[in-house]
Amino acid sequence: MSTAPTFIRPADLDGVTAALSDGDALIVGGGTMVVPELTHGRIRPSALVDLGRAGLAGVTTAAGTTVVGAMTTYTELEHSAVPLLATMAHGITGGPQIRHRGTVGGSASYANPSSDVPACLVALDARLLLAWAGGVREVAAADFFLGAFRTVREPDEVLAAITVPDVTTFGYVKFKLVEGSWPIVTAATVVRADSLRVVLGGAAPVPAAVTLDLPSAGTADPAWRDHVRTAVTEGIEIAGGPWDDVLAPGEYRARIAPVIAARSVARALDEESR
Amino acid sequence: MTAAATGIGSSPRRRDGAELLTGRATFLDDHRPEGMLHAVVVRSEVAHGRIRSIDTTAAESAPGVALVLTGEQAARHAGPVPYFIDPAARGGNRADLRCLAVGKVTHAGQPVAAVVARTRHEAHDAADLVRVDYEVLPHVLDAEAALAQDAPRLYEDWPGNVVMHNRYGTGDPDARLAEADTVVSGEIRIARTTTAPMEPRGYLASWHGDTLTVHASCQNPHQLRWMLATTLGVDEGRIRIVTAKVGGSFGLKMQGHPEETLVALLSRLAGAPVKWVEDRREALLAGAREQTHRFRVGAMADGRIVALVDEIVADIGALTAQAGWAMPNMSATTLPSGYAIPDCRIELDIVVTNKPPLAAARGFGKDAAHFVMERAVDLVARDLGLDPAEVRRRNFVPSDAFPYRTSTGLNIDSGDFEGLLDKTLDAVDHPGVRRRQAELRERGRYLGVGLGFELTPESSDSPGTFVSGFDTTTVRMSVTGMVTVLTGVTSPGGGNDTGIAQIVAAELGVPLAWVELVQGDTDRCPNGFGNFSGRSMVVGGGSATLAARDVRAKLLAVAARLLDTDDVELRDGVATGGGRELPVPEVARALLTRAFAIGDIEPVLESTRAYKPGNIDHVPDEFGRIQPYPTYSSSLHAAVVDVDAETGKVTLVDYVMAHDCGTMINPSLVEGQARGAVTMGLGSALSERLRFDADGRLATDRFKSYLLPRAGDVPLLRMVHQVTPSPFTMHGNKGAGEAGVGGAQAAVANAVEDALAPLGVTVRGVPLTPPAVLALIDEARKGSS
Amino acid sequence: MTEIRLTVNGVEHAVDVDPRTLLVHAIREQAGLTGTHVGCLTGDCGACTVVVDGRTTKSCSVLAHSADGARVETVESLADGDDLHPVQRAFWDEFAFQCGFCLPGMLLTARELLESTPDPDDEEILRALNGNLCRCTGYNTIVAAVRRAAQEPA
Repeated sequence: MSTAPTFIRPADLDGVTAALSDGDALIVGGGTMVVPELTHGRIRPSALVDLGRAGLAGVTTAAGTTVVGAMTTYTELEHSAVPLLATMAHGITGGPQIRHRGTVGGSASYANPSSDVPACLVALDARLLLAWAGGVREVAAADFFLGAFRTVREPDEVLAAITVPDVTTFGYVKFKLVEGSWPIVTAATVVRADSLRVVLGGAAPVPAAVTLDLPSAGTADPAWRDHVRTAVTEGIEIAGGPWDDVLAPGEYRARIAPVIAARSVARALDEESR
Repeated sequence: MTAAATGIGSSPRRRDGAELLTGRATFLDDHRPEGMLHAVVVRSEVAHGRIRSIDTTAAESAPGVALVLTGEQAARHAGPVPYFIDPAARGGNRADLRCLAVGKVTHAGQPVAAVVARTRHEAHDAADLVRVDYEVLPHVLDAEAALAQDAPRLYEDWPGNVVMHNRYGTGDPDARLAEADTVVSGEIRIARTTTAPMEPRGYLASWHGDTLTVHASCQNPHQLRWMLATTLGVDEGRIRIVTAKVGGSFGLKMQGHPEETLVALLSRLAGAPVKWVEDRREALLAGAREQTHRFRVGAMADGRIVALVDEIVADIGALTAQAGWAMPNMSATTLPSGYAIPDCRIELDIVVTNKPPLAAARGFGKDAAHFVMERAVDLVARDLGLDPAEVRRRNFVPSDAFPYRTSTGLNIDSGDFEGLLDKTLDAVDHPGVRRRQAELRERGRYLGVGLGFELTPESSDSPGTFVSGFDTTTVRMSVTGMVTVLTGVTSPGGGNDTGIAQIVAAELGVPLAWVELVQGDTDRCPNGFGNFSGRSMVVGGGSATLAARDVRAKLLAVAARLLDTDDVELRDGVATGGGRELPVPEVARALLTRAFAIGDIEPVLESTRAYKPGNIDHVPDEFGRIQPYPTYSSSLHAAVVDVDAETGKVTLVDYVMAHDCGTMINPSLVEGQARGAVTMGLGSALSERLRFDADGRLATDRFKSYLLPRAGDVPLLRMVHQVTPSPFTMHGNKGAGEAGVGGAQAAVANAVEDALAPLGVTVRGVPLTPPAVLALIDEARKGSS
Repeated sequence: MTEIRLTVNGVEHAVDVDPRTLLVHAIREQAGLTGTHVGCLTGDCGACTVVVDGRTTKSCSVLAHSADGARVETVESLADGDDLHPVQRAFWDEFAFQCGFCLPGMLLTARELLESTPDPDDEEILRALNGNLCRCTGYNTIVAAVRRAAQEPA
């Protein structure tokens, strides 16, 4: 027998962590993911903890490092100068209504393999700040995502902020079936001195990170494409194998992931790309 | 607005625009009478099973619950739901269909129980507590598998899973195939999609004593009244159906759904108004189309097609009392479309499976005929190395051959198909597209152009069913000159009320603003049949014309006396004659307040008329063929696509539709219908597909997995009009509600195949999702290696 | 049930709602403004769009309690009496709706776009409208209406 949960909207982070200390609470950020789940009875928490007044929104930059509050919306990110995340936010599906409401912290915590955010955070080597009633801990993005819809966050913890190092050269490509679909495969490329770091979203249950050689003969070079295919295939296996859902089978994602990776490299290197 | 801008052929704005734009319009869910309770339907979790028991005790004692009803209980109060089109009337198998399953379920999602409670939350919470124990039976989700001798049987008293097998066509196609220079064959799979209007279905029932009022999001109020009278055993005169504003329909909201009877029954048993509005997951259960075709086409070297043989297996899911199950019949009879192919044989199996039923859908099966025929024509062209446009031109029924009886029996009223082809090729700049295609291929990119022709039978009539080819309208002028039009046709969103008002205003010579329309109320409107089959302007407009002419004649007679001349004209609300003018309201007031002074003119400014268009013939000819459609729209579609061969993604670059629905009453409303239908076709061609898991449960249960086109997916649809009036309808107009679905599917599929011609790809169905296109490319590569 | 306060179209409402109650239901059933529609309850169709504290929001994906104290504007606030907003007039003139069920989302999204981007290009218009489904029109006339509204004085 389900009964109505309690609702609390703490005024600061301490209030949030205190409210979470009982366990079994559902954290509501922008609500775009969890509220429909709640409506359809897929989750039945005893308490709802709303982050809307906890002061967790906003972007601050100091000394080459940017701190993005977990409640920062896509719209705020889009108009920020945070590399990659601003680009990513611009392309979020669902219209301005979703970009106004959906948050980077919410998407990271929800850990949908098909969301844009997780792979971008991994590509940026972002660090995620988790708070609980007893203190805080920081987790590298690469360690944060455990599986589809699973993270290292404990039930009494809340993702409070995300620290993003300064990145200047990047490329982001997202492949969707049509405007309304979740991303099928995303690829975020960060250019390093002598290599490329490409992190794929949607391809596997967790972001698949690969290191690629710079394409000496352009991204269309068949030899380099072979290298990408090998590296991406391996990266997807390490990340748990191809992600499969009703929108696209795993073999399709695995098939196009190297293509999307190469396109994001082309974009990062400012090649002409389609 | 001047009078000149509101007549037939002009496009005045929608008369209900202000209320819709400001949020004042009242849709079904906006009604909340005092004391109203909420219903939630408990649906089967299994695709096929016997109901061993239903435990409602926990639900009954849950907070706020007024009533829990099971199928067995409901069957004590309500009879079987009458069919919109009874399969038995067409020689097929039928089953007793109830508002809640009794004994057995045949698909996941079938209603098995219902809960009524004070609030929506309470109803949902209680519904979760209803425990249904099933003996799970083996299920079959695929129509081909359902045809096997040992397949699980949905309806145990049937000899198999076939509702009916029919054969259509005349001539000797086998002989023609044997003589043909070439025979091309193909298999086409049209995946299951759904109509998905933005407003889901919903009903609100209230009883006052033994009188029932139902507000419904429904296309056919009079048929719904008739149906509820039958299922509930209530005198029809005690039932009132009101279809409030309807938020889109596309066939889904034709009646015959179990919840219609259910909600009326729940209200009666609960002793309070009860509302049920389906949620989106429930709405997505309704299928719209799913067929497999295996065809052979014989052609001569010059491209002339001499024979068509097509075997259709149509998967209708479980049987439904709604009209949806009957759509495949029209897939068969619409072949061979507008091509002169006297030798045809179409074999049709309508098959049940353990999936949710099909509900009627825009296109009503004709879309499948267009898709298959247009694929066949392209394959002939490809086989013979001819231009697909030329093969069409060579085979079209010529413009001077109408009326033309097709091999399957349809009698096409009029058309100019070559004219449509010329207009389309011109608008899409066919040579220019070919040049660009060649340039892009040099750069490893794949541009393609495809054509799709559509012949759309509209405004159907089926004797003895809820499908009627006539309708009825009352036109009434009041003492102040205001005009009320009450009509049996309804508008689920397309705006035919504006078109009908235009006709009446034009006939009466009064400003459009004087005309008020009433639709969708069985207590106010004359007997009618609502909205389906592109009929509303043909028979609603036709009957309104007849009634308006009666009133006009009366006005002229009265004005003639008042103006003392026989030569009176009515225009812009003024009667003019003998050099004098008299406002029409004064003419009306004269007749209705000075009837005895006026003399021997009967003082009534009102007429109710029915309109039966010509060309319908239900007497079977020597081949057993009937002719249920008065009029046939036609259209030619051209799609230009860019295919990303690395991902399989198809991007629409350009789209042209040349459209001929005869006389257009309001061209902007016509274009709106066509754009909507084309977009629905584009969705089914590229992204929409209902998928089920291995247990028969719907997997695509929201708009993130069932992918409707969004604004950014649709190119500018460029429309070109051609007007070839129908000789069989009042204004020469033809239906304009359905044309677009099959033409869009065909044009896109042919364009994709054209784009990927260098790779040797053959399209085998829709939707052409990126994974499907990559699979076709792989198949072609394997075939050529 | 707990009481929350919503200012809807300038009118303050104190309403008692279950914590699971959605903002769209509070607006429709407690505030009694039914111009905002329920089309999917998953945040996908946009028919429930309202403006919350100045930004368009899909009100089916917001708990009413999360909007406690918020300033909400609905489609009913667009017109000034019988005087339609330029966006409404443009939608009417361009036949940019049929059944009208998607209109609250389309109109409010279009207005927001034009307030931030008075002369949007087609790509900006499409990006703004991609969160709103319409099954009737095929979108072309909606895009045309937004373009027309951009050309009209507010």
